[in-house]
Amino acid sequence: MSKILGIDLGTTNSAMAVMEGGEPRIIENHEGNRTTPSIVAVSKGNERLVGLLAKRQAVVNQKNTVFSVKRLIGRKFDDENVKKDKAWLPYELRKAKNGGVEVKMGDAWNSPETISAMILQKLKADAEAKLGEKIEEAVITVPAYFDDSERQATIQAGEIAGLKIRRIINEPTAAALAYGLNKEKNEKIVVYDFGGGTFDISVLEVGDDTVEVKATGGDTHLGGDDFDQRILKYLVEEYKKQEGIDISKDPLAVQRLKEAAEKAKLELSTAMQTEINIPYITSDASGPKHFALTMTRAKLEELVKDFIDKSIALIKETVTASAPKGAGLKLSEINEIILVGGQTRMPAIQKAVKDLFGKEPHKNINPDEVVALGAAIQAGILQGDVKDILLLDVTPLTLSIETMGGVATAMISKNTTVPTSKSQVFSTAADNQPSVEIHILQGERPMASDNKTLARFILDGIPPSPRGIPQIEVTFDIDANSILNVKAKDKATGKEQSVRIEAVTSLNKEEVERLKKEAAEFAAEDERKKELIEIRNRAETAIYTAEKTLKDHGEKISAEAKTIIEEKTKKTQEAKDGDDKEATEKATQELMEELQKVGSSMYNKETPETPETPETPEAPAEGENASSESNQ
Amino acid sequence: MTEETMEEKVSRLEKEKEEYLEGWKRAKADFLNMKKEEEERVREFIKFGNEAIIRSMVSVLESFYLGLMAWKEETPEKKGMMLVRAQLEETLKKYGVEIIQAKIGEEFNPEKHECLLLEASESPTGTITEEVEKGYALYGKIIRPVRVKVSK
Repeated sequence: MSKILGIDLGTTNSAMAVMEGGEPRIIENHEGNRTTPSIVAVSKGNERLVGLLAKRQAVVNQKNTVFSVKRLIGRKFDDENVKKDKAWLPYELRKAKNGGVEVKMGDAWNSPETISAMILQKLKADAEAKLGEKIEEAVITVPAYFDDSERQATIQAGEIAGLKIRRIINEPTAAALAYGLNKEKNEKIVVYDFGGGTFDISVLEVGDDTVEVKATGGDTHLGGDDFDQRILKYLVEEYKKQEGIDISKDPLAVQRLKEAAEKAKLELSTAMQTEINIPYITSDASGPKHFALTMTRAKLEELVKDFIDKSIALIKETVTASAPKGAGLKLSEINEIILVGGQTRMPAIQKAVKDLFGKEPHKNINPDEVVALGAAIQAGILQGDVKDILLLDVTPLTLSIETMGGVATAMISKNTTVPTSKSQVFSTAADNQPSVEIHILQGERPMASDNKTLARFILDGIPPSPRGIPQIEVTFDIDANSILNVKAKDKATGKEQSVRIEAVTSLNKEEVERLKKEAAEFAAEDERKKELIEIRNRAETAIYTAEKTLKDHGEKISAEAKTIIEEKTKKTQEAKDGDDKEATEKATQELMEELQKVGSSMYNKETPETPETPETPEAPAEGENASSESNQ
Repeated sequence: MTEETMEEKVSRLEKEKEEYLEGWKRAKADFLNMKKEEEERVREFIKFGNEAIIRSMVSVLESFYLGLMAWKEETPEKKGMMLVRAQLEETLKKYGVEIIQAKIGEEFNPEKHECLLLEASESPTGTITEEVEKGYALYGKIIRPVRVKVSK
């Protein structure tokens, strides 16, 4: 079954997304961008252009470049709004036979549906190219205030584009879906959508998997573009003040200023001030002129304050006014607020909304993409992706086993997707150790005793051998039902032992959180403890090696060297039993050095017939003292 | 009777087995495909990861051009700055940046040109009369179109 495309068909920009592995993902268009300008044009050569290409040629071809067609779709030509828009739209409009609107593009008169279909067609083709599969169905979003005729026209646009429209959903509902708020019970949600050219407010009520629109409001002619225009105007005026030159007549200068204005607006969302530098912006008889200005966030906020104030007044009205103007609710009755549209990145807007409701709005999903993502989620629900998806669990906490010195050695770390299997080979800690205990733990702390014991078992019958020689393979296997099987196998004898632990991933949320918090709290102390254990383990290994060397090769070692080793062994043993980390480390180091000396002198003794060993120059050099003495 | 149910059971289990095997194969294929896509994404990321920096650098380069154009006398200092510009161009080239230029008289093409202004001229309608700013592509993707004036 082919994927259903989620489409946010916007007034200024459109975006699309699909479900992938249970998550919605934005699909980039052919030009490699995540949003596509909702602009269509027919060039002089009768070629159809959509998106960025249409935008680039807008100046050359003003009359045949159609944008903002969403303002016209499904409306009557005599509609008041259409009349207003007709006054400023640069392309020609006329009354269609059915009373609707027709738009002139090239030599033809087109319905707004046909124009929208051209945008949808591009999105469809680009998605097919990106995904490598045919797209036949889509979910399209529309503003909550769209009436039946506007919705029908949008469906028709989809059909003209060769898409079966599985559902039309409201933009604010899509945003709520993207934030997963559709599952809440009896919640009242306000969606504040400040797009490029329109400002929409919707009050939603969620209950029993239904989302009801209680009220809509806003201003269809207020958007982020107005903010850019304000900044641009300010920059032009400032320049006039600074240099006495009006650069608004120079198209290149205006273009560069526009870019600078947009950049400044974005930067002031994170920084308190920004430098606008445009060298060689223009020139006059006296030579080149530059533009340099420091703009503060406060200045920007002052410039657009009335827009923000207006938007806040509109929210108040939409929420509190009685029906049909508003939802007839108190501001305090609103449970959640969602910010949509690029302009909501502005901190002053976020703050104004927060202050109005007295709570933090949802804003962590990219506000330019949240509606398309929600549309994809709706598509996923229709496709069965969301419900039927094979939900794979993850391990909430690390699973480990206890090793020498009481250290918890991780086998499967937390957040690993199950089913999974990991194995590692361990060995014994003492000579002739007949059995090993497998102590299975759960938790994030480095020391075994601080974690939760899940099970213990013993693998015995290990044939007598020096420590470190037996190979015990321990395997942790978690199946899809979260059942952990731990198996220990002696590779030499093939003997094995295992244990089965039920439901290791089904810890309750609070417990997981508590354990994680604990781990973070004790992180530093735990690290010290673990370090001390590791040093002690090294000391123990050194003592063991020393004792073994004396026992096995005692006759080859000079009495003098033997005394030194015994002394150092004793010192290491004492240090190890104490709590002094540095002393243990130092004693271990010295003991190891001594052992190395003895080792190399023994090596020299064992090979007296080959005194010339030019290929190993470092051996005689290192053991020089020891060898000359012990050779006596 | 029992044999009948046994057969039924076998056929049901066989069907189930097929289904599971199919699901397993799909999951494995999904995984392998995801790995390939991930590799592709990483490659793309490496290629286009510095697009934002390059976009900003390109603005600096443009200011350089304007500065050199405004510098009328041919002094050794100007020559030096020309070399600095060339150095910057070379550096960007190493990272996949290609400079796109428009020819006067060439037909306007929105794939790589952006029109800033229409002007009356003797050249045929729809042809480029002036290149105002150079364009830039990063590994073939236009990150900034050539800004031009077009004859009306």
